[in-house]
Amino acid sequence: MARRFKMKINHNSEFDLDLAPLLAVMVKLVPVLLVSSAFVQMMIIETELPQVVQQAIAKQENNPKAAQVAVEMNKKDGIRIIVTENGQTKVELVGLNSEKQIDMPALHAKFQAVKKSHPEVFKIELSPDADVPYKEIVRVMDEARKSRSNDIKFPVKNEQTGQETSTEYMFPEIVFANLMDG
Amino acid sequence: MKRNRYKPEIKRNQTFALNITSMTDMFTILLVFLLQTYSTNDVQIDPVSGVRLPASNTDKNPVNGIKISISPTELKLDQLKLASVTDNKIEQAAIDPNDGEFIKPLFEELQKLNEAHKLKPDIKIGKILFQADQEVPYATLRKIMYTASMAGFPNIKLVTVVGN
Repeated sequence: MARRFKMKINHNSEFDLDLAPLLAVMVKLVPVLLVSSAFVQMMIIETELPQVVQQAIAKQENNPKAAQVAVEMNKKDGIRIIVTENGQTKVELVGLNSEKQIDMPALHAKFQAVKKSHPEVFKIELSPDADVPYKEIVRVMDEARKSRSNDIKFPVKNEQTGQETSTEYMFPEIVFANLMDG
Repeated sequence: MKRNRYKPEIKRNQTFALNITSMTDMFTILLVFLLQTYSTNDVQIDPVSGVRLPASNTDKNPVNGIKISISPTELKLDQLKLASVTDNKIEQAAIDPNDGEFIKPLFEELQKLNEAHKLKPDIKIGKILFQADQEVPYATLRKIMYTASMAGFPNIKLVTVVGN
């Protein structure tokens, strides 16, 4: 009677994985990544806009009767949002909070409200006072550019297809209105 | 009787295995960190010494352009110092006496670039990457932007760091 071959398995045996090739690859990869790493990531302000938004901006620029939104920044009083439409002017004020800083959540809410009432407007004219620091200007531009909430979007009409779509952009085009005032 | 001196047994052909597991662990962590910071941008902007850029949530990658920077101590065009800055104000000697917003050395250098690159026929080609310290007031920024516009560079990109 033939005996069945039984392979001996030693369950207590150990083996060493050869990590040398893996290490060799890593040693080559690390210098390559070190050279191409950006430890301080920098961006620029001038957002690339979706095509429908660009068309809407062009349409607004061609329409002299479109509402105009001006934003005045003042270190003492805060922000004044001035909406001019059909010769009528409406002013909204966003004051400073208890830490004497601009109340950014309130400002964002005001921008959203203005955008909801004037969805065709994409440009604002920003006029900061001479003593307003650069970081405050950038923060206001951030608040105006895009809606922070994914739930709140604004209607925009695609001029080519005629269909209505939505965008999170509020006022992506910001112009320094008092640049040439002197 | 002569004492036998102890001689350690040395095997000439002996090899030993270096334990590289911990080194591999370290390299793996390093690799993950570097992969996270790996930049695929075409244009890399080097931070200017002394300039603390403001944080912004913009998601636009940098483009090529002429680099102007203003730190609490100096106004520079690329690596060239144009004027000194004291208390976040550009030195009076660099300002045109007839126009308080006009920075003469900056205008002259931009004009030279205009002539060199023959950008004059289409002024919108001229792009400026503007790196300004976050505490610089708008009055100083306005002087630079005004002068750049006058020199034919109305397209100014504000460089910021990523963050909220």
